Amino acid sequence: METVIRFENLTKEYNMGKVSVKALRGVTSDIKAGEFVAIMGPSGSGKSTLMHILGCLDSASDGRYWLEDQEISKLKKAKLASIRNNKIGFVFQTFNLLPHLNIRRNVELPLMYSGMNASRRRTLAEKVLTDVGLDDRMKHKPSELSGGQRQRVAIARALVNNPTIILADEPTGNLDTNSGNDILSIFSELNNLGHTIIIVTHDSAVSERADRSIKIIDGLIVE
Amino acid sequence: MAISLKESIQVGLSDFWSRKIRSLVTVLGIVLGTMSVIVVLAMVNGINKQTLSWMMERGGLAKITVHRNWEYDGDGNERDYFTLKELFHIRELLPEAEYFNPSMGDWGRINFQDKFIWNRVQGVVPDYQYIEEWTADQGRFISGFDIDQNNDVIVIGSKVKEELFANNDPLGEYITFKNRRLKIVGIMKHRYLKNSFNVGNENSLDYLNRRSFIPISTMINKISGKDNVRSLALKARSAEEAPALAHKLENILLNIRHGENVFNIESAQEEAQEIEKNARTFRMVFFLISIISLLVAGIVIINIMLATIQERTREIGIRLAVGARRFDLFIQFLVQTILVTFIGGVIGVGAGFSVLNIVSKYLEFQLIAYPGMIIAAIGVSVGVGFLSGIIPAIKAANLNPVTALRYE
Repeated sequence: METVIRFENLTKEYNMGKVSVKALRGVTSDIKAGEFVAIMGPSGSGKSTLMHILGCLDSASDGRYWLEDQEISKLKKAKLASIRNNKIGFVFQTFNLLPHLNIRRNVELPLMYSGMNASRRRTLAEKVLTDVGLDDRMKHKPSELSGGQRQRVAIARALVNNPTIILADEPTGNLDTNSGNDILSIFSELNNLGHTIIIVTHDSAVSERADRSIKIIDGLIVE
Repeated sequence: MAISLKESIQVGLSDFWSRKIRSLVTVLGIVLGTMSVIVVLAMVNGINKQTLSWMMERGGLAKITVHRNWEYDGDGNERDYFTLKELFHIRELLPEAEYFNPSMGDWGRINFQDKFIWNRVQGVVPDYQYIEEWTADQGRFISGFDIDQNNDVIVIGSKVKEELFANNDPLGEYITFKNRRLKIVGIMKHRYLKNSFNVGNENSLDYLNRRSFIPISTMINKISGKDNVRSLALKARSAEEAPALAHKLENILLNIRHGENVFNIESAQEEAQEIEKNARTFRMVFFLISIISLLVAGIVIINIMLATIQERTREIGIRLAVGARRFDLFIQFLVQTILVTFIGGVIGVGAGFSVLNIVSKYLEFQLIAYPGMIIAAIGVSVGVGFLSGIIPAIKAANLNPVTALRYE
């Protein structure tokens, strides 16, 4: 399988006044296309920091990161935005939907920033929402949906631009067991369809669904 | 990859609508500022037009008037007045004046049978009616024959007729003024200035309707007994010729009074130019004041938009996560602020016109708004939106995606 993500010696240091905190202390790994990977670790271990760097939301203090053979660490902010728009789909623990937009328009959001026209956006958003089983909720606001449904909207939004990787940060953390299992099943299904899935979690039940786990403790990959 | 302007406007409108109360509070300053721009400019225009209409009603822009100069420290002797002989001499020196009317007024009781009114009676010559573009409605005006013969005739104003004769015909009747019986030979046309600032129930031209006119020779020889004419009015052939005529007259008057500035000369044309100049200054001053009030509104908008961005930090993080560029967010928030001020400007213009309608209706005073004022008012609002939107938009665009996503 082709390597889709490769990072070498990534470090991340936060300066908080006179104190500096090292969230990542030089991590190296790679992820193949079509893999389902769980990044595991306790709170404060640096797993979310790694996800933010892999998702181009943040940059490393040092080290190198390649996404599909493109070195990300040297790119400017506008180019990083373009990569987030085209190649990465995010799913967050708290769903992060815009409350004043209906769910169709929430799903359209990445397409809007890709410059797609309104009618094509609408068609694509409706298709993806149908795929995640929300075809009857298009005009509902996020507040009118259950937690599981909101997370499915977030997955639809992550998928709508047909990204290279889907990055999920504790996607079941705010859900009950049944809804959490539903969401994990969707991720498994997407993985079976060929999507590369990276889930950040501290829940071992989640990691069991993954092909492999990357465990981080105190900013270092331990296995 | 970029969000289009149309898209930014749609997002802005959607945000405006989803936060109605805040949006309305945000635009309130702009609404009031724009409204004041419209109302104040329309009032200045109205006052300007009103003054010019009044001048047109009082003989037009070709009219020149001469009065005693109250700043001249005279001693009340004959040099402070004209004699009829002097006036005839001045008339000969000014062939380019189309009309020439010396006038001499006196206050007193006009009695008719058991009724009387206090009235200003004006001694004039026939040219008065051409200078003032105002003549008798019934009967006739003062004639050259009346002047030559010192006739005891009077032409009364419409209000005089109304108060002394009600619905009866006064022509041919006799009234007494300063113990002299005068035969009524004419009634002046009623004067009325449309859209005027009324004083109580009085039209601003009603004071003319209360006047009466007699031959100036009768006034001098039979009533006052003094050959001292205080005022003079002339009319040039056109408004354009008036300033030159006024200048020539000034030189003549200075000559006959040996360089002393005894008389004051006013050219309606020059006054109109002065009025227009003052109106321009007023317009500019009021416009600047309105702009300052709009800038204050702009500062309020900056505050509200900064608070809005603080409140929407997580939304900004979400937008950044799904691929918004910093420039997209900058444009989105800038367009949103401009949109808010544009909507405020439009509401303000609407409110301004509503105020103008009400004011015009109740004050019987014409307020004049031009399309240019609408464009200026909305343009300034949009400009304020642009200026006040930049700082919040920069703040939104510079948010760190991770920090923004973690914002509670």
